[in-house]
Amino acid sequence: MIPAEVEYVRAGSLEDALDALADPEAKVLAGGQSLVSVLKLRLVRPRLLVDIGGLELRGVELRDGELRIGALTVWDELVEASELRRPALAAIPECAAGVGDLQVRNRGTIGGSLAHADPASDLPALTIALGASFVLRSPEGERAVPAEDFFQGPFLTALLPQELLTEIVVPPPPAGSGSAYESIEHPASGFALAGAGALVLPDGTRSVGVTGVSGHPFRLDSPDEAEAMLAGVDVFGDHFASAEYRRRLAEVTVRRALARAEQRREEDERWTA
Amino acid sequence: MNLVVNGEPRTLDVEARTLLVHALRDGLGLTGAHIGCDTSQCGACTILLDGRAVKSCTLLTVQAEGTEVTTIEGLARDGELHPVQRAFIEHHGLQCGFCTPGMILTAVDLLERHSDPDDETIRRSLRGNLCRCTGYHGIVEAIRAAAGERNGTS
Amino acid sequence: MDSVIGVPRPRTDSPEKVSGATRYAGDDVLPGLLHGWLVLSTEAHATIVSIEKEAALAVPGVVAVLTADDLPVVAEGSGRSNEPLARSEVVFSGQPIALVVAESEAAAEDGAEVVMVEYESLEPVLDLEGAMRPGAPLGRHPGEEDASGMESVHAAVGAGEQELPEEELSGNVLKRSFREEGDLEAAFETSDAVVSGRFETSWIYQSYLEPQTATAWIEPGGVLVVSASTQGAFMSRNELADLFGLPLDKVRVRAAPLGGAFGGKLMLVEPLAAGAALVLGRPVRLLLTRSEDFQASNPAPAAIFELRVGARRSGELTGLDARIVCDRGSTIEWGLEDISSTLVGGPYRWRAFAIRSYGVQTNRVTFGAYRGPGAPPAAFALESLLDELAAQLELDPIEFRLQNAVVEGDVGVSGRAFPVIGARECLERVREHPIWLERNSLPEDEGVGVAVGYWPGGNEPASAACRLDRDGRLTVVTAVADMTGTETTFAAIAAEVLGTTPENVRVVAADTASAPFAGVSGGSKITYTVGRAVERAAEQARERILYVASEELEIAPSDLEIVDGVVRAVGSPDRSLSLEEIAQKALAWGGRYEPIAGQGGVAQPSSAPAAAAHLAHVRVDHETGEVEILRYAVAQDVGRALNPALVEGQMRGGATQAIGWALYEELRYDEHGQLVTGSFLDYAIPTAERVPQIDTLIVEVPAPSGPFGAKGVGEAPVVAGPAAIANAVAAATGIRPRQLPMTAPRVWALLQEASTRTETPPA
Ligand SMILES: Cc1cc2nc3c(=O)[nH]c(=O)nc-3n(C[C@H](O)[C@H](O)[C@H](O)COP(=O)(O)OP(=O)(O)OC[C@H]3O[C@@H](n4cnc5c(N)ncnc54)[C@H](O)[C@@H]3O)c2cc1C
Ligand code: FES
Ligand code: FES
Repeated sequence: MIPAEVEYVRAGSLEDALDALADPEAKVLAGGQSLVSVLKLRLVRPRLLVDIGGLELRGVELRDGELRIGALTVWDELVEASELRRPALAAIPECAAGVGDLQVRNRGTIGGSLAHADPASDLPALTIALGASFVLRSPEGERAVPAEDFFQGPFLTALLPQELLTEIVVPPPPAGSGSAYESIEHPASGFALAGAGALVLPDGTRSVGVTGVSGHPFRLDSPDEAEAMLAGVDVFGDHFASAEYRRRLAEVTVRRALARAEQRREEDERWTA
Repeated sequence: MNLVVNGEPRTLDVEARTLLVHALRDGLGLTGAHIGCDTSQCGACTILLDGRAVKSCTLLTVQAEGTEVTTIEGLARDGELHPVQRAFIEHHGLQCGFCTPGMILTAVDLLERHSDPDDETIRRSLRGNLCRCTGYHGIVEAIRAAAGERNGTS
Repeated sequence: MDSVIGVPRPRTDSPEKVSGATRYAGDDVLPGLLHGWLVLSTEAHATIVSIEKEAALAVPGVVAVLTADDLPVVAEGSGRSNEPLARSEVVFSGQPIALVVAESEAAAEDGAEVVMVEYESLEPVLDLEGAMRPGAPLGRHPGEEDASGMESVHAAVGAGEQELPEEELSGNVLKRSFREEGDLEAAFETSDAVVSGRFETSWIYQSYLEPQTATAWIEPGGVLVVSASTQGAFMSRNELADLFGLPLDKVRVRAAPLGGAFGGKLMLVEPLAAGAALVLGRPVRLLLTRSEDFQASNPAPAAIFELRVGARRSGELTGLDARIVCDRGSTIEWGLEDISSTLVGGPYRWRAFAIRSYGVQTNRVTFGAYRGPGAPPAAFALESLLDELAAQLELDPIEFRLQNAVVEGDVGVSGRAFPVIGARECLERVREHPIWLERNSLPEDEGVGVAVGYWPGGNEPASAACRLDRDGRLTVVTAVADMTGTETTFAAIAAEVLGTTPENVRVVAADTASAPFAGVSGGSKITYTVGRAVERAAEQARERILYVASEELEIAPSDLEIVDGVVRAVGSPDRSLSLEEIAQKALAWGGRYEPIAGQGGVAQPSSAPAAAAHLAHVRVDHETGEVEILRYAVAQDVGRALNPALVEGQMRGGATQAIGWALYEELRYDEHGQLVTGSFLDYAIPTAERVPQIDTLIVEVPAPSGPFGAKGVGEAPVVAGPAAIANAVAAATGIRPRQLPMTAPRVWALLQEASTRTETPPA
């Protein structure tokens, strides 16, 4: 399978990239781990590909008390980043290590994953749990959108056509917090049949994001009543896994993620001490 | 566009839509990169891009501009097989051989970061490489042995 | 010199394979090569109204758009082997309709995308049981010329089968078979336990890693040459000649190194590439994409087994009552109903049985052979019920099986006596394995299951040739497509006979123009048959070698031996000649000896059935239904392990495919007959993460007529695997799965059902 004919430009700077995106039939290309597949299937047929792979939007750093992750950071860098060793943030490398396979983690970017917004992708649930926000850049300037508001439907986000996701900003949790990510994978694709990211704060406050079971990832408002909360969600089913089964998996992942996040709280206390 | 393939600078004249695996196979005759699927699952097309394993079917050739590509044909040095290649022979890590180049290159990347991976790590790292023939047993043993040889423990 | 038989050695093709040097069917470089791309039917059942080619022909680089009318096919009748491109009636979604040929693959795909096919939809036949009912719509409308080709319900009775009782059935039932022996009802009446169940298995895709590929060209003199990923060079040649009405010497087929096949690679792409090359006079390659291969190749078919079996408290099996329905998909040429009706009896003695089986056409893909065709579903059904019987009668599952397992001379449900078979020996081996011994001291969510199965083995006349070259090395020539490392084994066999090392034997797979005849690589018969032919060919060469040496050394042949590639006098090793010296004498200008060569052939008197017993240790996650294989062991009777490394590779590969059958694999079709699991994104095969290291226990019960006692080893190790895993799941959960694969959602649903059953006591 070979993509349909297409033009290609490699952006030398963020401004270049935004200029090129003025073409309504242009599409951003980052690592290509999602986009090249859909191009091969000829499911999308942009006129122009704007390759942002060479831009300096890469890396994990603690700046101004916030954790900032460049959109072009690949999964493998999250797995290895020393800034993410803290038990309170352990869910991030844990989630990244479970995405795809070694080859995909070498190439796939987190910006690409979030912008692609596959309803079965892993990281979105966690960004919601961690209260992350996304920095979006357009020729008009920059805006920050909370993760929770960013995901709007299957493959649908708050991104405007001439806008790039540049950074993910995570407010570092206070000492003594714990986080975890749990998913039950589809045996073939490895994507989440259900997945849950959890953050537990020192005061016991719990924050949970859920993915895989509906059109887009969402925050579970009262994680302690996962079963009741999930009963109200419009869960989809397919030939492999019924809605009822997926709903049950969501409950299981929420419970397991919370339990492990809870365990990590103490570890984080020791770590930060 | 320019890139370095197996140590040699190459200039390729390709359409933007050409996948790297096709450029390697059809353009450069490097048919050791196999095509086993069209959904990026099988890993038969795995190559090293700047030393890291990637699936060459999930990459446009133009994205590889300025990189260094190593294919299975370029892994041997001075006529000597790479230790992972040797281990695959000795430990029966192959049958039909269609998955083998991709398996070996993924293993090379793995051993670059983990000098002494346990079986679980090896198996997890091979998740993007399907093999239908061997049941993976010999493949895991080969990778373990190659790591051991490197560490002088076997 | 030490024997080379029984010594583990890497496959001889390993160095090329680890270096990327092996040229598979898609790797040949040919000047002027054209590329084909298929247009597949999007309807499961329809009449083709029109095919619009113009837009495709206008795409730059497109050379031709070929449809059924354009191919020089002379064979008549429908069915896939006569109809590489659909003529008028489309009978499955994914059926090839047109072939676009272009200067590049990209252009061919661009062209295929704009070929417009207009259909008139017909009702698709998808429900297997429904399709059998009288008055059901037909999956294919027989043309006049087909009436004789289709086996009718009243067709002739095959070997071991009996007269068919009258039944009201639709024309979708293409074949029935019936076997009966003894008084079944009496057998059940004297039983202390009778259990029954309806078992369903799915369509399973061979999942060879190399998609089907063929390249065809015309050589000067008008010879059609086809290089393909095929399991049978001669079979492909014969069928191509018939299809296109060519004399045999105008078709030459080369079996390229196979990137896996498992039964599925025969004559699907060859006719298409060959037809295009014949029309266009240029080389044409057709390389299926994985999606096309999923939709349009020939996977293993689904089946339904309804079984009732009984036993006495003493442990004696009594009666077997079976009704088997085999989905044939759109295949009209053959079916699995016959073999299934014999496999369902397992390697056991029965007092009485009645077995009815049906082959039913539906509007799904054509089916094909896949490792042990029909055997895993049969073993799943029977071995599940045997476990239940053992539980009900409080018998040890292994002892129970041992008590009833056949030995040489026992007559099976096929009506034929079993030759030497090692079913008992395999069971005895697993009985001592730690997985079995520790089965009663496991955590609550874990369990161990056992099952045994067998593959009857195949036989077909075969031949091989060899010659001693001037370097003293032996060249062995066969027509075998190497699937399991047979070339490596042939080298060892010839070396053993000759008294040299396998390194001094070259094995060449020649094409059909020059190779001695060999059949299809399938049915686990290559080592058993061609291996024997190689042995005989090498024996003949050895005689000639000894003759030359005897003349030269003036010693009687009976006083000579060959050791390490040197012919020497027994007892005085310094009177010697090397094979190299002998070869040169026999090839010398003006010399007095014939060149040293050998011919060998076999028509094996009987096949050599291979048995294997499996042990699976699983953990079941009661919250998600996920089954994890923690430990696994296979004991297999291989006759004689000529190369234990290759044998173990087959056992582990087979067991891993069994795990796929058991837990993951299923080609699912929706209510319109569209495949919904048509890629590795949806169709899961076992990954490295999901299989454990697999213990292999080699059992050697020699086959009287195999080379050095060897039997075929390829199929047996998949047969009983799904059953063993199902029995392990039952041990871990108390539920009895009746459907494969046991996916997590299915196991979860069964657990839910069981827990509601225990919560609400029956009124
Ligand atoms: C075999 C395989 C297995 C996978 N398994 C998993 C899994 O288990 N879980 C999971 O969550 N994911 C999985 N993925 C998806 C993978 O994580 C994503 O494909 C990858 O991270 C996307 O990043 P990319 O850089 O490759 O994006 P690309 O493919 O380049 O782009 C993806 C989309 O995002 C847009 N885009 C990219 N970057 C930006 C940006 N900065 N601003 C705006 N728009 C942008 C593109 O236009 C495109 O629409 C898998 C992928 C593969 C191939
Ligand atoms: S061909 Fe690249 S992953 Fe399968
Ligand atoms: S050796 Fe055949 S797919 Fe791995």
